[in-house]
Amino acid sequence: MASLLQPDRVLYLVHGEKKIRSPLSTLYFCRYCSELRSLECVSHEVDSHYCPSCLENMPSAEAKLKKNRKRICNQLNENFRCANCFDCPCCMHTLSTRATNIPAPLPDDPSKTTMKKAYYLACGFCRWTSRDVGMADKSVASGGWQEPDNPHTQRINKLIEYYQQLAQREKLERDRKKLARRRPYMPLAFSQHTIHVVEKYGLGTRLQRQRPGAPITSLAGLSLKEGEDQKEINIEPAQALDEVEPLPEDCYTRPINLPEVTSLRQRLLQPDFQPAGASQLHPKHKHLLIKRSLRCRKCEHNLSKPEFNPTSIKFKIQLVAVSYIPEVRIMSIPNLRFQKECQVLLTLTNPVENITHVTLVGCEEGDPEDINSTAKVMVPTKELVLAGKDAAADYDELAEPQDFQDDPDVVAFRKSNKIGFFIKVVPQREEDGDVTVSFKIRHDFRNLAAPIRPSEEGDAPTEAIWLTHHVELSLGPIIA
Amino acid sequence: VEFVLHVQVANIAAGAVVCVESEIRGDVTIGPRTVVHPKARIIAEAGPIIIGEGNLIEEQALIINSYPENIMPDTEGVEPKTMTIGINNVFEVGCVSQALKIGDNNVIESKADLGKNVILTSGCIVGACCQVNTCEVIPENTVIYGSNCMRRVQTERPQPQTLQLDFLMKILPNYHHMKKTVKGTSTPVRN
Repeated sequence: MASLLQPDRVLYLVHGEKKIRSPLSTLYFCRYCSELRSLECVSHEVDSHYCPSCLENMPSAEAKLKKNRKRICNQLNENFRCANCFDCPCCMHTLSTRATNIPAPLPDDPSKTTMKKAYYLACGFCRWTSRDVGMADKSVASGGWQEPDNPHTQRINKLIEYYQQLAQREKLERDRKKLARRRPYMPLAFSQHTIHVVEKYGLGTRLQRQRPGAPITSLAGLSLKEGEDQKEINIEPAQALDEVEPLPEDCYTRPINLPEVTSLRQRLLQPDFQPAGASQLHPKHKHLLIKRSLRCRKCEHNLSKPEFNPTSIKFKIQLVAVSYIPEVRIMSIPNLRFQKECQVLLTLTNPVENITHVTLVGCEEGDPEDINSTAKVMVPTKELVLAGKDAAADYDELAEPQDFQDDPDVVAFRKSNKIGFFIKVVPQREEDGDVTVSFKIRHDFRNLAAPIRPSEEGDAPTEAIWLTHHVELSLGPIIA
Repeated sequence: VEFVLHVQVANIAAGAVVCVESEIRGDVTIGPRTVVHPKARIIAEAGPIIIGEGNLIEEQALIINSYPENIMPDTEGVEPKTMTIGINNVFEVGCVSQALKIGDNNVIESKADLGKNVILTSGCIVGACCQVNTCEVIPENTVIYGSNCMRRVQTERPQPQTLQLDFLMKILPNYHHMKKTVKGTSTPVRN
């Protein structure tokens, strides 16, 4: 359906660190800053982990780390994989458990046999089964499958501990330096950069909350009490060997058994073993997916916060741009001719419930935001009025249509909260490529999130502010 | 002027369940215990088709013995080639098979497309939407899967669909009329 609507032909400009142009459906609107935000000018935070096949929630990494600090390294390995679900090592699809009946001798009377259920893993896509790698059928449906142990686990764990300790020390020193430089009259707050510090060696982003009066030494989840001596962890350096295992003698003469050779992708998905033969490919536990929340970098308010439950697709906070900003869509384009005036029909939709006034302004000469347009555009000069979005309008047949007195040269039609209007386009360049036009839309916005000022002053509780957005439209090629 | 009317009646063995809504054209022999669903099409244009027993041909499957592309139907001297299909094969919904020789226990999944020059041996599985139009003999127990038609060899052959065949042979006559078999009545005896 998205390809029918062709949303990428109408781009809105976002003012951030980078000027980004993208369709309104991909943008967010911070109603505290009253500005559009794109995915690149917000910070992404991990909310929770869940398994995509069994939809089970996993406690977040921090919660687990807080509980069991000693087993940090093992936790990190198990943390991001589901305990119940497996991936096919051949095609990476989810494995399903199948049962067969096998005759097994009764425990009481070995001469009689009874049918017992035996379970094995099978892939519905490439028909791989756990029997292909020699894994015996299990008698329990789940929980019986073990991943093979990595012989290097101990050494890796020790290295991880050592480097985590190093990272902690570095962080403490950095924080101490910042504290020393802080001037006494500044509040006990960090600069905005430390809030989004990404810890080294994959310990995840941590959020530091402002705590007036408390010393600023504790790190979320990995804190050691002040004054406690850290246990020194020493590692032995790796040893270089002179002799290497020789290649087998028939290395060059042995014919290759092609179905047995693993592909690079299959090999690299198992970095512990990287087996060269398909009979060594064991299934791995399924990787978890994350639910993420987005936060405006300037005002630190949440722009998008999903629900905790993995089965729910709703949001607790959903400040998407399409629910606040009027959306321009292209409805019909005539044949575009070089240097001939053509009339394009656009629609403008009002997402909010109150009446919105929209003014369109063409871009001036030398406008720094207008870099892509290849045609001159004449937009309607009068102010366009959009009716509010009425959720019950479909069902209320007796409602009288509001009388807006539209100029038929400008407004083609009006339907509840949407109007169709004309713009005139004169393509200026004869080359190949799409005709692009741009203009600015200026509309009033009532900020319902702003704190209500005391009404002693007699002001209306919600004042309208005027927002301006730069819009670019891609109208397609010139037809000679 | 002579008009010669060729009436070819499909040669359906007793015990096969072939729905009336299926389209069977040309010289087609169907073995016992084979089930042909409604809207399946078996078309013997350029030669006869012989289908073994225990096969399952699902809806909108197309098994066609067609002329090679560059030969007109009326050319003289073209030998009719027989298409042979073995036992216990499954032709899933919407697949197209023009392969002249298919062995036993194969599964051709939904919307798969087999060309004229492919020969399937036994135990092969051609995955959904896979187009196989190479000129080769597919080795036994091969699985073709994925959008790039990756291949691998499995250790066991796919099981024959005995349960499904028995179920269908009981249920289909309750809802559809059957084509006449060679010996016996048009509708098999109900339990």
